[in-house]
Amino acid sequence: MRSRSALFCALLFLSPGLLGLAAHAQGRIKGLRATVEGDQVQVSLRLEGGIDRRMLDRIDSGLPTRIVYEMELARDRKRWYDQGIKRTTLEVTAVYDAVARETNLHYRLAGELIESRTVRDRPALLDALRKIEHVPVFRTQGLTPGVRYLVIARALLGSRMVFSIIPTDTRTEWVESNKFRPPAVP
Amino acid sequence: MSLRDRLYEQSKNTRTLLLGLAGLLFVFTAIFYLLQRDREMPAYLVTNRVLLFVLWYVNIVLILAIVFVLMRDLFKLFLERRHRILGSKLKTKLVATYIGLSLFPVLTLFVIATELLQGSIDRWFATPVRPVLEQGNAVAQALFDQIQSSCASAARRTLADLGRVDLSRESERERLGGRLRALLAENDLDFLAVYEGTDFVQGVVDSRSGISDLPEPGRDLLGEAVTEGRAVRTVEPPGWRGRLVLAAVSGAAAGEAEAGDGGTTGGAKLDPLAADPAEPKPRIVVAGTLLDPVLAERTERLIEAFQTYRQLEVQKEDLRASHLLIFLMVTLLILLASTWTGLFLARRVTVPILALAEGTRRISSGDLDHRVEAPADDELGVLVASFNRMTEELQRSNRALQTTNERLAEERALLAAVLENVAAGIVSIDGSGRIFTCNGAALHMLQQREEEVVGRAPAEAWSDPERSKLAALLADLPEAPEADAGRRGRRAAREVQMVIGGDWKTFEVKVTPIRDAAGSRGRVLVLEDLTELIQAQQLAAWNEAARRIAHEIKNPLTPIRLGAERLLEKHRRGDPALGPAIEEAADIIVREVENLQEMVDEFSRYARMPRPRPTRLDLTRLIKETCHLYRDVKVGVPVVFASGSTDDLSAVDLPTVWIDGEQIRRALINLIDNGVEATDPPGTVTVSVDRGEDTLAIHVADTGRGIPPESKEKLFLPYFSTKGRGTGMGLAIVHRIVTDHHGALRVEDNRPAGTVFTIELPLG
Repeated sequence: MRSRSALFCALLFLSPGLLGLAAHAQGRIKGLRATVEGDQVQVSLRLEGGIDRRMLDRIDSGLPTRIVYEMELARDRKRWYDQGIKRTTLEVTAVYDAVARETNLHYRLAGELIESRTVRDRPALLDALRKIEHVPVFRTQGLTPGVRYLVIARALLGSRMVFSIIPTDTRTEWVESNKFRPPAVP
Repeated sequence: MSLRDRLYEQSKNTRTLLLGLAGLLFVFTAIFYLLQRDREMPAYLVTNRVLLFVLWYVNIVLILAIVFVLMRDLFKLFLERRHRILGSKLKTKLVATYIGLSLFPVLTLFVIATELLQGSIDRWFATPVRPVLEQGNAVAQALFDQIQSSCASAARRTLADLGRVDLSRESERERLGGRLRALLAENDLDFLAVYEGTDFVQGVVDSRSGISDLPEPGRDLLGEAVTEGRAVRTVEPPGWRGRLVLAAVSGAAAGEAEAGDGGTTGGAKLDPLAADPAEPKPRIVVAGTLLDPVLAERTERLIEAFQTYRQLEVQKEDLRASHLLIFLMVTLLILLASTWTGLFLARRVTVPILALAEGTRRISSGDLDHRVEAPADDELGVLVASFNRMTEELQRSNRALQTTNERLAEERALLAAVLENVAAGIVSIDGSGRIFTCNGAALHMLQQREEEVVGRAPAEAWSDPERSKLAALLADLPEAPEADAGRRGRRAAREVQMVIGGDWKTFEVKVTPIRDAAGSRGRVLVLEDLTELIQAQQLAAWNEAARRIAHEIKNPLTPIRLGAERLLEKHRRGDPALGPAIEEAADIIVREVENLQEMVDEFSRYARMPRPRPTRLDLTRLIKETCHLYRDVKVGVPVVFASGSTDDLSAVDLPTVWIDGEQIRRALINLIDNGVEATDPPGTVTVSVDRGEDTLAIHVADTGRGIPPESKEKLFLPYFSTKGRGTGMGLAIVHRIVTDHHGALRVEDNRPAGTVFTIELPLG
């Protein structure tokens, strides 16, 4: 009975994964850089591609449109169990106001609003969506001084439907940042 | 399973069904509610990514559940059919029917409805809504552009007009208000203000506009005006309705500056208003025009309508997916419910049938304790209950049969023991004419072994000339209907003499027809060895006869001896009366010798009595003639002839019988003679006849003195008489005649007085 249930659950959870193979990334993250400033790990990155006509249409329609940057702080080891010491998301949401003809951008780190901005032209909008500069995403508290760490990140660029009914997320590949060592706490 | 368990199982099944139905009802209600709310909810909520994923996962779960339920049952059916389990074919048909009935209409409906839904969605966006909305949006945007441009031009003219004014001088600042009001009126503006950097210098408002307070352009507008030279905003006017279009124009553009390490999220610009205090602040003119509230509202509605349409357009695929997923979910729920219900109903139908089939198999193999325990409350339940009742009845009957068989076996053993221990020989012949049993006494009498007799036909078992007399007796017994069996059982016994093992044997043989349990005829032959008894009787009879003969001879000898002795005495004495005495003695001697002669003749006749020579004879006539002889023999003692209950001789219907007429006439005369003699007037001697199925009884009844019981045993012996005279041979001769006719002679008391002699003769 237990084995039957396990088989059932395995099929249940594998099915979206198998279907998710149909989703493919259209952009990639470049220039992922992690720096330690005080007790903060700041991240900078740049998204290349990924913002297609469909996403721009969605923004222009006034629908809230998000790009979610998923980031993980990990030890610099190649073992799977060393991954994911800390994890967070930086969510950039664009909402276009057609009357005012401006786009409001909201930045949320781990769900907490950290910045809002208004842009009024397309280049500024794309720049605001694609460029992340020196955002303090992790704290060094709890990290072992002298041990090398790195940040891995990928971007969730929304979802699309496969065969009209199967929702799949569009994500970039995971990329790694430079390695860094947190300084010793005096 | 006990009744309680069965009821529990039954309630559990019903409860499961009800719970399932209640769950389905809840799910459908929730879906219906969501669909209703779907119309009210904004599109971006309906097409929410999380909602789509939840719907997809729910559908996946439902699909897997249906596949699991179907595969499980189909696999079980496959295994059952492979192992040829009874009822698997019926179950397969039922399941296939239920699933077919569920799948076909639901899937057909799903395909058709999906096509309709997709077509409907495509048709929504195919209608010429977009151009209209797009044009409306363009008009609205153009209006805003025009007003903004107009404001910007007015602001630029104002800036140019004030270019020569030095606002640091107090006198110039006092004249600025009038100058601004003139420019406000000249450019048809509703608001006009001058800033130096972020510092407000002076502003005027058209009193007719309804704006109650000076609008605040905002730092970003001023900053943008400094950096870009021009900036426009559309804001809500303070204390008033409608829209206020603001245009800010700066005299000197500060240019863009890259942001430093401010820790922000990219592209932040340097504040252009935070310039060096040593430098002069840039002059900024902000001009504003108030848009009519109605016009503003309509313009915004046009823009919003187009935006809403664009949102729908963008979410077209998601909307389609959302509706399809909801529809698929409903379809799958219906499918799951119908499939599960179908399988459940198939199981409810097949389980009792399989249990009945298994029960039939078990009971046919002899397990009468088996009971069908299948939960069913419909006609199948009645069938199961009837089956169980039938089994109970069968078990009860079987037990009764076993008890009966045991009793029969005991009785049979007892009967066999009795048969083995009785002195009489008993041989039974079954309906097929073969000897079924032959007890030890019969085997001993016939000096045969059991295997020589049992299982063979009588003619085969008794094929020798002596024993074949028994077979002939059996063959003589005519076939008779069942109703005659009892009467034939009363048939008189026959004496059969046979030479067995060199010895002369006399048997009394009785053949009685019987009917066995199967209804076929059979016979029982009872043998009684009379050899020793007859020898003893003959010996006793001869002793008695010798005694009687001696006595009878002695009676006449005494007067003869006395006569002779008297003559001798007279002769010795020289009695002169010797002569007459001789004559007298001679007479006595002659008379007594004659008596002796008569007695010897009588005995000789008895001894020489010929065997009967039967002829076909009218017995009625014979009896009537005999009775007629005694018509006036004794006054007051008439001899009458009656047949049964009537005295009318003409009504008597006696059969023609095979008898020796003279001998029977002599026997009747003897009996009537005795009756007449024993009856004192007034009295009657009645001769009557009773006819049975196979016997004929002639009764001679008198109303005389009767016969003492102790004399009845010796009544038929020779020389026995109760009359004190006669030879005593009459009844002995009657008995001999009747016996020679294979009949029987009985004597009984007549009621109220007298004696009845019955001659019983066989018919045929």
